[in-house]
Amino acid sequence: MSIQPTPGPPPGQGRGGDRPPETPEEPPGGAPQREAGPAAPTLRPARPRWRETLSLLAHNPTAAIASVLLLLIVVVAFFDDTLAPQGANEISVADRLQPPSWEHPFGTDDLGRDILSRVILGASVSLRVGFLAVGFALVVGTLIGLLAGYYGRWVDDVLMRFMDMLFAFPAVLLAIAVLAVRGPGSGNTALAIGIVYTPIFARVTRASVLGVREEVYVRASRSVGASDWRILTRHILPNAAPPIIVQTSISLAFAVLAEAALSFLGLGTQPPNPSWGLMLAEGRGFIELAWWLAFFPGMAIFLTVLCFNLLGDGLRDVLDPRQRTQMAGSSRAAATETGGEA
Amino acid sequence: MGDVLVSARGLEVHFPVRGGGKGGGVLRAVDGVDLDVLRGETLGLVGESGCGKSTLGNALLRLVPPTGGTVTFDGTDVTSLDRRGLKEMRRRAGMVFQDPFASLDPRRTVAQTVSEPLEVHGLRSGRRERAARVAELLELVGLDPAVAGRYPHEFSGGQRQRVGIARALAGEPDFLVCDEAIASLDVSVQAQVLNLLRRLQRQLGLTLLFVSHDLSAVRHISDRIAVMYLGRIVEIGPAAAVGADPQMPYTQALLSAVPVPHPAKERARERIVLRGDVPSPSAVPSGCRFRTRCPYVFEPCDDVDPALQPAGAPGQLAACHLHGVEGTPVTETPEGVTADP
Repeated sequence: MSIQPTPGPPPGQGRGGDRPPETPEEPPGGAPQREAGPAAPTLRPARPRWRETLSLLAHNPTAAIASVLLLLIVVVAFFDDTLAPQGANEISVADRLQPPSWEHPFGTDDLGRDILSRVILGASVSLRVGFLAVGFALVVGTLIGLLAGYYGRWVDDVLMRFMDMLFAFPAVLLAIAVLAVRGPGSGNTALAIGIVYTPIFARVTRASVLGVREEVYVRASRSVGASDWRILTRHILPNAAPPIIVQTSISLAFAVLAEAALSFLGLGTQPPNPSWGLMLAEGRGFIELAWWLAFFPGMAIFLTVLCFNLLGDGLRDVLDPRQRTQMAGSSRAAATETGGEA
Repeated sequence: MGDVLVSARGLEVHFPVRGGGKGGGVLRAVDGVDLDVLRGETLGLVGESGCGKSTLGNALLRLVPPTGGTVTFDGTDVTSLDRRGLKEMRRRAGMVFQDPFASLDPRRTVAQTVSEPLEVHGLRSGRRERAARVAELLELVGLDPAVAGRYPHEFSGGQRQRVGIARALAGEPDFLVCDEAIASLDVSVQAQVLNLLRRLQRQLGLTLLFVSHDLSAVRHISDRIAVMYLGRIVEIGPAAAVGADPQMPYTQALLSAVPVPHPAKERARERIVLRGDVPSPSAVPSGCRFRTRCPYVFEPCDDVDPALQPAGAPGQLAACHLHGVEGTPVTETPEGVTADP
């Protein structure tokens, strides 16, 4: 989710990936643009932070490859109906348990269903559950962490002890409990995984907020009369965000895995709907007879999880302020100061 | 001049200290300060690091909650203000912080930083009006308005401090606290920022509290100087009088430590070197708090805490028993003075 460029880069400027190495705004090109400013000064940033992040990410080979692969997986998941050669449940008994061939690149399962089609169609199920679960955990956990970290005292105690309670449960047990109450299905699976991951986000956010809260610019903002809400949303959240972003990426990997695990246990996606975890479970019985049943969905899980993890690592490096200054800070010319005082 | 804009009476800021005895003690950062800042003046507040001068500056704006005493700002009691009153007070009183690298949010552009007070107080409606005001403010502090879209890391320390000053001025304040505003700048830039502050003070009719440990800078900019030691104001008076003829032994020692930019005079300069370290603000000595290091200690110093009383030039006050209280100076060091408090 974080790798997709948000809409609306200024026209005429390429996206992160197209940029030449280092910062493209070198004095020759950048200066005239800025000199046009004085007549109509603008409140818009010269170069948004996320674009800098993107261009830095593009120079981290592993993260760049992982992003591209993930983008590919997301695109495949999005256009699954068009891309899948067959429907998910087109049964052809004559073609059952066919090994990979030109006609069925990933082979067929015991009902003669095309594995490639099911892997493609399963991508949207797995990813949707992953995104929903992490989205839930991100929103709820970040909010709890923000409030706990910023207000401290009893707010912190109450909220974080509650999170500790959730945290103390074994994750799978907690998810099973949620699913036992609400019944199986992808929506409930997402909710269950989301609840399991909420304390992680709360903790990461709180830790990050505790550091940012004491910054002088937070006090400076208070000194001009800014409200708590404004300070939280405009200053603390943006500055506390990097670890949360990294956590999001890594949690997506675990959420996809968790969905697979719960489906494997029969609690997640229900047959005959395709989901990678479910396909893995169904293929288990044929593993000696037809390895491709389990192998390809397994590879899909492996690749997705690996990519989310690599992206998370890359983001961690790129968003680290110290590394960031090393990589980008020095390359920009300082602004000119008009007339010194005398 | 004449009427009081900001006034503190018996102001105390005590911080609880963990450890150090059962239940922990208190750190008396500000310990009973009476201070009047007159409208339109520049008051310099000097003292060693750790003497509580920054805490005092923060407490006047209620950025640090006072634990005792009162602060009045233009007639209203700051310590009992409700949310709305506090917000308005913070529009009318700005603050410039010490470290310009830490006081600007690294993720917000100069324009966003400077326009924050405008948004918070609804001073300019609409993007365009705010942008125009931001440009005006940047120009006022000597920055090119074209830099509005840039991020703090693209600026030098002096430029950042100008941005910080522009932010503090955005709400059109009456009162500006400069908390060590030049301490972390290069010397050449210090002079520029100092002169900028002086120009702004005159141009905008500001009342300035200039907190600094740099006596020469304070003498350069201030109308009056207040000297702080261990959470208390020990001497206050017109800058010329305090600078030329300090009445409190601590001020004398402080002044004698300032180098003179004249080789012959510098060589002849007599330095008063104080013994020992500043006592911890969590264990303030009884009586006069300066007695453990004072070269002139005599009987009343051990027991009686001296109040500020007229000494030297008109308008000059010093908290010292050498002025007013009867007694004979002792030549021998009284016992217990050198021991750790």
